[in-house]
Amino acid sequence: MTNLEKLNRIFCEVFNVEESALDSGFDKCNIEGWDSVRQLSLSTAVEDEFDIMLDAEDILEFTSYDNVNRILAKYEIEL
Amino acid sequence: MFLDLDKKPKDKVAAIDDSGASLTYGEICGFISRFTHALPQRSLFFIFAENKIGSLLGYVGALSSSVVPLVISAKTEKTLYETLRDKYSPAYLWAPNEMLPGLGGEITDFSEAGYTLVKTGLQSPALYEDLALLLPTSGSTGSPKLVRHSYRNIEANAFNVLRLFGLTENEHPMAVLPMHYTMGLSVISSHLLAGATLILSGRSLLDKGFWQMMREHRVTSFTGVPYSYELLSKLRFFRMDLPDLYTITQGGGKMTEELFKAYADYAEQKGKRFIATYGQTECTARMAYLPAELATTKTCSIGIAEPGGQLSIIDKDGRETFEGEAEGEMVYRGENVTLGYATCAEDLLKGDENYGVMHTGDLARRDADGCYFIIGRLKRFLKIYGLRIGLDEVEQMVKAEFNTDCHCKGDDEKLIVLVTDARLKEVLPAFIEGKTHLFHQRVEVHVVKEIMRNETGKVIDQ
Repeated sequence: MTNLEKLNRIFCEVFNVEESALDSGFDKCNIEGWDSVRQLSLSTAVEDEFDIMLDAEDILEFTSYDNVNRILAKYEIEL
Repeated sequence: MFLDLDKKPKDKVAAIDDSGASLTYGEICGFISRFTHALPQRSLFFIFAENKIGSLLGYVGALSSSVVPLVISAKTEKTLYETLRDKYSPAYLWAPNEMLPGLGGEITDFSEAGYTLVKTGLQSPALYEDLALLLPTSGSTGSPKLVRHSYRNIEANAFNVLRLFGLTENEHPMAVLPMHYTMGLSVISSHLLAGATLILSGRSLLDKGFWQMMREHRVTSFTGVPYSYELLSKLRFFRMDLPDLYTITQGGGKMTEELFKAYADYAEQKGKRFIATYGQTECTARMAYLPAELATTKTCSIGIAEPGGQLSIIDKDGRETFEGEAEGEMVYRGENVTLGYATCAEDLLKGDENYGVMHTGDLARRDADGCYFIIGRLKRFLKIYGLRIGLDEVEQMVKAEFNTDCHCKGDDEKLIVLVTDARLKEVLPAFIEGKTHLFHQRVEVHVVKEIMRNETGKVIDQ
């Protein structure tokens, strides 16, 4: 599985959506229920999957699909 | 007046919310006098609560004017709101302006801080003279069962909590627990009684704005549920520089031993205080607390009764004791023990059914020093993320929707649902989340051939 596929699977499982829903509009404002529980599940799943330790500031930025993509680049995870 | 609000300095700030708006004690009193003229006394009144100044005004306005509010989340599912409305028949609603189009009823011109009064056209039911406040038993989740509070309950809780924490007008508490949740309201009422400045926030702890508010308003105390503390650890809270934060306090369920120790040690090292507490909606929030100086030695203890209250244990032989080592159901006595439940409008006329004594339904152990530890639960509910999930209620919901046999169990980590229809494995987590707000990954569905029962119909543990 590619890194992008791994990331998409995490999103689909946490938000209970199809992969086709994941685009630049997939963010905290548009997705109902993007609360702290989901945000932390997302960041924890990403940490486990890619074996990284996110900074607190980055966890606070886990507020959109695009942001997560961008943050992963910072940790040298190529998507 | 309610919480002696009229005795505080008029220009002292009582609350600041996420929008940056602030409200003084003088403005609260001015609003209360307008509110009193806008609504007839002993009306039933629903508040669609958010942690905002408008919502706070509706609450203090009602409590000061002999109007009885039911406080529910502004995010309450529409069908649950309609069930509550049809069951209890409120004459008025107090709702955020953006909700008005969907509510029906007559929108009045009485409006303040983004909230507006709506006249439903329904007639309030008859209300018991000392009935002050109604809260759902389970936060924003499924059940229309309510807890009936008296005026004395609220005042007693506010005063007990004020004494427990030694609150003064210099506090700037972070009021981030929802207002429709008993502990959220307790933070609000105890600090208003103290004449302090509430920092009201509806933000998530994972929102940058939340941390800006913590620093900008020099927050002095934080009240959270176990899950809040899990989140804080993830955010490397122990390394944050928060010099004004003096009190961190926890309620709404049991923390893990590891987490409890971490916060107790952190507080000790940094010269702060960590205070674990215990409470229930049925007792107007708080009932017990572990004094800060015992935090590092009595790990996971809920401590002793709060000032003004008394704890005891009834052991398996039915013997009640107030001191010495014991194990059994924990019982609480105090003026904050609520009047009882309501399940229909007629119940709102009922008086006090508890007489100041609450059998908590929690199993506790008391050590030789008199400290209590919760070790189990007699009642059928789980507490996950501070949400109370009634197992019987979830079973009924699932049975009603899907025509399957169903049994629920679990622990405070996850809800386990046993069903006989294999097709439900995929859909149930999302369905249960929709009804109860419990995150679907904390729901585990097990498909079984049959839900086994004994001859009396009771489910056999399986």
